[in-house]
Amino acid sequence: MKMFKNGLGEGSTFACCHPAVNLMYFVFTIGITMFSTGPAFLAETLVFSWTYSILLNGKKAIKTNIIFTVPVLIIMTVINTFFTHNGATVLFYLNYGRITLEALLYGLAAAVLLSSVIVWFSCFNVIMSSDKLIYFFGKIAPVLGLTLSMIFRFIPLLKSRYKEISMGQRCMGRHQKGSYLSKLRQTAKEVSILISWSLEAAIETSDSMEARGYGLPGRTSFHLFKLTQTDKMLLAAMGLCGGIAAIGCALGKTSIYYYPVVVLTNWDLMTVVTFIAYTALLMIPLMIDIIGELKWQQYELKI
Amino acid sequence: MATIRVKDLNFTYPTAVKPALEDVTFSVEQSEFIVVCGKSGCGKSTLLRHLKKNLMPYGRLEGEVLYNGKAIADLDDRLNASEIGFVHQNPDNQIVTDKVWHELAFGLESLGLDNRTIKRRVAEMASFFDIQTWFRKNVSELSGGQKQLLNLASIMVMQPKVLILDEPTSQLDPIAASEFLKTIYRINRELGTTIIISEHRLEELFTMADKVMVIDKGKIVDFDEPWNIGNVLAGEGENDRHPMFYGMPSIMKIYSQCRGAGVPVYKRNDKEVSPLTIREGRLWLESFLNDKEEAAWAGGFDRKEDGDKSACEEVIKVKDLWFKYSKDSGDVLRGLNLSVRKGELFCLLGGNGAGKSTTLKAINGIIKPQRGSVKVDQSKVSMLPQNPQALFTEITVEEELLEALYYEKISDEEKIDKIEKMLALMEIEHLRKSHPYDLSGGEQQRLAMGKILLLNPEILLLDEPTKGLDPFFKITLAGVLHKLVASGVTIFMVSHDIEFCAEYADRCAMFFDGDVVSEGTPKEFFAGNSFYTTSANRIVRRWFPEGITWEEVAQWIEETWMK
Repeated sequence: MKMFKNGLGEGSTFACCHPAVNLMYFVFTIGITMFSTGPAFLAETLVFSWTYSILLNGKKAIKTNIIFTVPVLIIMTVINTFFTHNGATVLFYLNYGRITLEALLYGLAAAVLLSSVIVWFSCFNVIMSSDKLIYFFGKIAPVLGLTLSMIFRFIPLLKSRYKEISMGQRCMGRHQKGSYLSKLRQTAKEVSILISWSLEAAIETSDSMEARGYGLPGRTSFHLFKLTQTDKMLLAAMGLCGGIAAIGCALGKTSIYYYPVVVLTNWDLMTVVTFIAYTALLMIPLMIDIIGELKWQQYELKI
Repeated sequence: MATIRVKDLNFTYPTAVKPALEDVTFSVEQSEFIVVCGKSGCGKSTLLRHLKKNLMPYGRLEGEVLYNGKAIADLDDRLNASEIGFVHQNPDNQIVTDKVWHELAFGLESLGLDNRTIKRRVAEMASFFDIQTWFRKNVSELSGGQKQLLNLASIMVMQPKVLILDEPTSQLDPIAASEFLKTIYRINRELGTTIIISEHRLEELFTMADKVMVIDKGKIVDFDEPWNIGNVLAGEGENDRHPMFYGMPSIMKIYSQCRGAGVPVYKRNDKEVSPLTIREGRLWLESFLNDKEEAAWAGGFDRKEDGDKSACEEVIKVKDLWFKYSKDSGDVLRGLNLSVRKGELFCLLGGNGAGKSTTLKAINGIIKPQRGSVKVDQSKVSMLPQNPQALFTEITVEEELLEALYYEKISDEEKIDKIEKMLALMEIEHLRKSHPYDLSGGEQQRLAMGKILLLNPEILLLDEPTKGLDPFFKITLAGVLHKLVASGVTIFMVSHDIEFCAEYADRCAMFFDGDVVSEGTPKEFFAGNSFYTTSANRIVRRWFPEGITWEEVAQWIEETWMK
């Protein structure tokens, strides 16, 4: 239980897998979530997304998840209920508009769907470090990967530069005194220094890039990731489960009709298979992380 | 065959009247170690930039620059990228990517190598430069010295045959700089890479160099072995000295001064050469001082010279100061006590990260210490930040200075008058229309200093003011500081530059572990230290412990010899 309290963060075992494994998981999970409106599937993805995000981020994830999803939940449900007049079961009339049970349920389902996607992305954020994103963009085109990498370099650089500028201005005795307007003036000045400084520095950066052969044809993209046997097995397992679930989703087994009346899931064989495959898929990283964490705890006990 | 051959090179920048380089002719053999020195703006950078294809400045060019017999401008891009490496001044600006390992791989990615090869080469280089421990770090977490080492490694990974470095250590503190230069030396000795490096810190480089090139006003003054350089620069006497004479290592200055006075010469392998290291300096002295008895420093000087100042009021008084940046971090200042009197040039020396800059911030009121008190009139304090660019907002030097007077309530004529005086004082009159960013590091430092001085501070705080300055301007800077001190300004300076502090400070203090551990006039201070002292002092301290500056030492040697 300790792991759920503190969160595994970037040290999670699943995060240490090859980025392709991570990406495949999130593509399947988020993709299928986005096209599934069936209550069973919605409930499943909601539960798993919350569980995994708490496992990764610790108990503080509960608070952030509530902050980000509850407003979405309320707003979407309310909007759909009051602005969509489809549906057979009328609850009441408002200004001659029909407020229906189906619209309310559909709004709720869509809201749950969207909020789970948001929570899934919070997991994605932890697992997909900047390195991995650069790796994928580098696979598409080396220049894209490099651009991303340069952005990640520039953000902390600009921050530290701005700090230095503020400090320099304070050294001159500026910054402390004055009204709101003069403070604004001072900030504008500091930003202007930051821009001209950075542009000037960028000339040298581009010199340094060109000096190291940037612009030559046939650029490659270097990375430090290794595709291990475990990664291959995981890819196969996820491909199988995710593939089945995706086919089920494409056949419409994961969704239900809300209009004109709600038709609940017909649990035929394919739906059951899809549900099982989808559950297995969602469970894979949780299992990996929990087993990995337990192994660590044992290892630490031995020492 | 010579790797690089420059023949009758003349170069003029588009808007300039005078050529930046005039009749430059020299050649560099394979695996040579060449040091290029000269005043700021003498044309060093312009020359070095001509040796790398994509950095060649735009302007009128005559003569030829050849690499392995082929004009540099016509080199194949792939060859240019991999065989000639170039390291710039600023460590931050050269880094492109966010991770150390990615930066190392950058050049190889450009060359289109596959993942396996890159990994192997990166591994080799990381081991050579000993950067395995921070291999996976973000570049923003590195120190300045590490960043510059990373820049060097990410060029070396492309296995260049020639490495060109343009003042690579000017932004580094002395320890990191020395570390960096040692690495350069290793590259030259162990990998046989040809090195061409321009620098102001010559003390160490002279012992490494095969040849030294002295440039002045775009012309080569001398290109010779390091031990012969002194002869040319010293000229025929004190007034005939070349400005770059003052940039030479102390021992060479002492030697050429003494040689003129008839002191016996130093011989290595029966050939007269100038000693280059402290060891050689001592051997030289021992060769004729062998019967001289050793003296130990007895301590205690007459304090007449600063007698008048000790009576002055204390304008900065720091008492029992404790400070840490966050609750969990260690204390940076531990019960610091310190006082500076009015009209004094006070230097605080000490190692890296000892908390010297924190002390400055505490005095300036930027940080609030947890315990203790700082007594200082904040309204009279101005501080020069380490990075002059943090102050520049305008598009010309003149306007930059005018900006400093923005809040002053005086007439425009008075402002112009003040600016003119400041331009003259800082010797930047010829640059008045230039853009602040087009100035060299030393010139920017001067402009920033001028800007701060226009605020009329009574207490001036300086953070590493000699960083990146050429030795000649250091003398000018000392003159400026002395003028200020004479007019009643108090200067509190934090520095790594032992030689500068020894020569010009009124009082020096050593900062260690959050407090001042020793303090005194430069004489008391350095004579009491045994390692942390000037190189001139280290040469003679066996016989003459109170000799601090090279002039004192040279004079003492002459006098002793006469007896």
